[in-house]
Amino acid sequence: MAIIVSIRNATKDYRLGKVLVPALRGVSLEVNSGEFLSIAGPSGSGKTTLLNLIGCVDTPTSGTVEVAGRNTAELGERALTRLRLYTIGFIFQSFNLVGVLDVFRNVELPLLLQRTLSSKERAERVHSLLDRVGLKEYSDHRPSELSGGQRQRVAIARALVTRPQLVLADEPTANLDSVTGQNILDLMRELNHADGTTFIFSTHDARVMSYANAVIRLADGKLSDTSDGGRATDAEVAELGHVSAGASQP
Amino acid sequence: MNAFWDTLKVVAQIALRNLFASRIKTFIVGGIITFGAWIIVVGTSLLDSVDQSMSRSITGSIAGDIQVYSAESKETLDVFGGFGPSGNDIAPLADFAQVRRTLSTVPNVAAVVPMGIDTATVTAGNSVDQVLARLREAASNIQNGDKSAATAADYTSQKDHVRQIVRVLHGDFENIKKVRTDASDVAEDLAFVQKANSEEFWRDFDRDPYANLEFLENRIASLASDADMLFLRYIGTDPGEFRRTFDRMTIVEGQPIPEGKRGFLFSKYVYEEQVKLRTARTLDKVKVRRDDRKEKIADEPELQRMIKENANNGQEILLQLDGNKTSVFRSKLGTFLHSQTTDVGQLLTQFLSMNDDNFDERYQFYYKELAPSLQLYKVRVGDTLTIKAYTRSGYVQSANLHVFGIFAFKGLEKSPQAGAMNMMDLVSFRELYGYLTADREKEIRDLRAKSGAKEIARENADAQLFGSASKDDSTATDTPSPSNIPSLTEELSQIAGSRQRSQEKDAPYDPGQLEQGVVLNAAVFLKDAHKVGTTITAIESAAGRDKIPLKALSWQNAVGITGQFTVLMRAVLYTAVIIIFLVALIIINNALVMATLERVREFGTLRAIGAQRRFIWSMLVLESIVTGILFGALGILLGSLFVSWLGQRGIPAWNDIVTFFFSGPRLYPALASKNLVLALVIVIVVSVVSSTYPAWLAMRVSPRQAMQSEE
Repeated sequence: MAIIVSIRNATKDYRLGKVLVPALRGVSLEVNSGEFLSIAGPSGSGKTTLLNLIGCVDTPTSGTVEVAGRNTAELGERALTRLRLYTIGFIFQSFNLVGVLDVFRNVELPLLLQRTLSSKERAERVHSLLDRVGLKEYSDHRPSELSGGQRQRVAIARALVTRPQLVLADEPTANLDSVTGQNILDLMRELNHADGTTFIFSTHDARVMSYANAVIRLADGKLSDTSDGGRATDAEVAELGHVSAGASQP
Repeated sequence: MNAFWDTLKVVAQIALRNLFASRIKTFIVGGIITFGAWIIVVGTSLLDSVDQSMSRSITGSIAGDIQVYSAESKETLDVFGGFGPSGNDIAPLADFAQVRRTLSTVPNVAAVVPMGIDTATVTAGNSVDQVLARLREAASNIQNGDKSAATAADYTSQKDHVRQIVRVLHGDFENIKKVRTDASDVAEDLAFVQKANSEEFWRDFDRDPYANLEFLENRIASLASDADMLFLRYIGTDPGEFRRTFDRMTIVEGQPIPEGKRGFLFSKYVYEEQVKLRTARTLDKVKVRRDDRKEKIADEPELQRMIKENANNGQEILLQLDGNKTSVFRSKLGTFLHSQTTDVGQLLTQFLSMNDDNFDERYQFYYKELAPSLQLYKVRVGDTLTIKAYTRSGYVQSANLHVFGIFAFKGLEKSPQAGAMNMMDLVSFRELYGYLTADREKEIRDLRAKSGAKEIARENADAQLFGSASKDDSTATDTPSPSNIPSLTEELSQIAGSRQRSQEKDAPYDPGQLEQGVVLNAAVFLKDAHKVGTTITAIESAAGRDKIPLKALSWQNAVGITGQFTVLMRAVLYTAVIIIFLVALIIINNALVMATLERVREFGTLRAIGAQRRFIWSMLVLESIVTGILFGALGILLGSLFVSWLGQRGIPAWNDIVTFFFSGPRLYPALASKNLVLALVIVIVVSVVSSTYPAWLAMRVSPRQAMQSEE
């Protein structure tokens, strides 16, 4: 199975005024293609920073991050952007839809940025995705006319429309009630199963973690000292009936 | 490529939607852009219209497309002579025929009109002289044995008229005595006036009417003549050619100066302003301001001053009243004013002291009842005018010219600049200008030799003429007062000119004379009026080739400050536009920066999902351009509608100067597509510039900021 994300001893420091704040203190991790991986940990543990590194919106202070075989530290701003555009899909906690565009246009946006498909191909792609996330009827609605769950479905459709190898979701259910959150997670897992798209999502909610087929735990910018290199215990993922291999020691 | 347009479409869609999403920003930015575009369209349209109508009426009235004059002149030619009375110092061009020959070698030249512009004083229709002439005629009729009652009545009436004049004069002198501490220099005149105003003088008048008339003619008439001095600016030209070439000239009254004849045409403006009775003129002006501008005498100090002055001007009417008319005026005014006063002077003062309530009624009464008995204009068409001008060499030259008519320049009727210009034939102009032809110079030289007159240099004139006494008077030695020189030389020139002047009034001249002789300047009309610049170069090089010292000016430069008016106004407008848009730039910039800060998450998201920085930048600039085009178009539309509305309605000129710039009582502005394009271009440039910084800020938003939730 191909490795889509490979992190070696990555650290990340942020400067807050005169103080250097270490957000990640040396994380090593490998993620296989097709995984449905949860990054767990309390707030401030470095979840978002780790996601930023994986998502190519940030580069490590030291160590290396490889995404789809590219070392992000060696890439410039434009190349990182291209990598995000063609390889990664993003799902945000606050959905982050463009408020002035309707659902169709919001989902189409990444394809427009890619400029590779014709408008007909784009329309087909967008409609089939909207169909899959159950928003077929809503393509001409504005985000403000949708519920939170519906908005997050639109965001999921937008993340998947470019057929990325990797989808990152930052606390995708934090702004949703539990039922809606479950539905969203069901949908994400369904898409993971169907297409083999790798999903990595952060959460601090144990119930959400239970959906993952692998969980890594972060605390104080480090992976928890577990036998499986920060991966969740077997018991925690037993009910998923599947443990992916490939985690590596720092 | 298709994908590019699709992307552009979405960006445009985002831009449009954002206009509605952030209404306050849109309102501020849009309002400013709309206003700016409106200003550009309306301002440039108005200026272009003023430019065009001014150029039409100035080129079509006096200037032509190009003016040529001697390059040896001390000053730059100004056909309107600036706003002062002196005119400008232009060297003569000795032979117009040669000038025309040279100009006609320039291919773009269509017509050349010879000109000279100068000023002179004119003693117009001295009423005292006329009255005394009539009295003398009546007296001689009686002496010759005419015993009819009509003659006797006429004689009495004329005597009363003279007494009236003397009484007015006497009043003037009493005033002079009152206001001046030292009236010794007028003591002699005062004595004459007192004598003429005495009961004894008139009681004994009939004993020796001729001797008494002589006293009045020699001692009194000269005192009463000052009131009738006119100061005239005139253009000497080929009247026929002028009328054919300058399409703005129209004859308002009388006829044009016939070909080959000497003559004078009054400008309508001067005729109304200077030749008309002052009381009538003032009433006209007050009426216009009351009727057209809805001003009230009670509210306007200016109108009050005019009315007050008018009440004191009654004496110009008194001077015209003989015995019969005096009694007619006494009874008419007495009845009208319900007054028992018998003093016509007092009645007139009372009558002319008008207010808002009685103005219209009295204005009617003035023209219907009083004016028919008066000579409303001091000079009338058909009269002969004696024009006295200081020649270049300092002596006074005079000419008697027949007034053929009154003319005006269409569209410039109310213009004090163009309206100041009267007209005479070029032959008479040259005489008044004092340019000596070779023949004339010889004639004077011969006369000098015969009379034993010596040539006196101006610098030494005082010393030579008045002895060394003038050395004490240091001011007099540098600049000889012109009044001293003429006294001697005038006689000389009058001797020389007497033979010719006695017959010159109607003497025809050979049209060839117009061509051969001195001119000061000439108007040049072009076949293609757009090629002024290149034609000026062509004219000056042709002049250089033919060795004539010729300088050519575009009409704008030849009419002094007037021609620069639109250039000046354009500078003011563009400065205003630049300031408006600088302010707009700052406000729009601020509004967009605020809007950008509100949209940080949106830009972060776009960056995260794969939008390059330049995409964000272009998106914001495009948003701004869309805003600019939308509101710019709105402003242009509103401006165009406003200009069209003005074009139908016309903008009324609010005073005489504005009338000149409008070339008529109303300006009808027209739209030019280049102004609309200009407005759009400026608006787009401003939009791009004002959005550059906010777009740069937006471009720098990190994709990480999409991740940060709800802070």
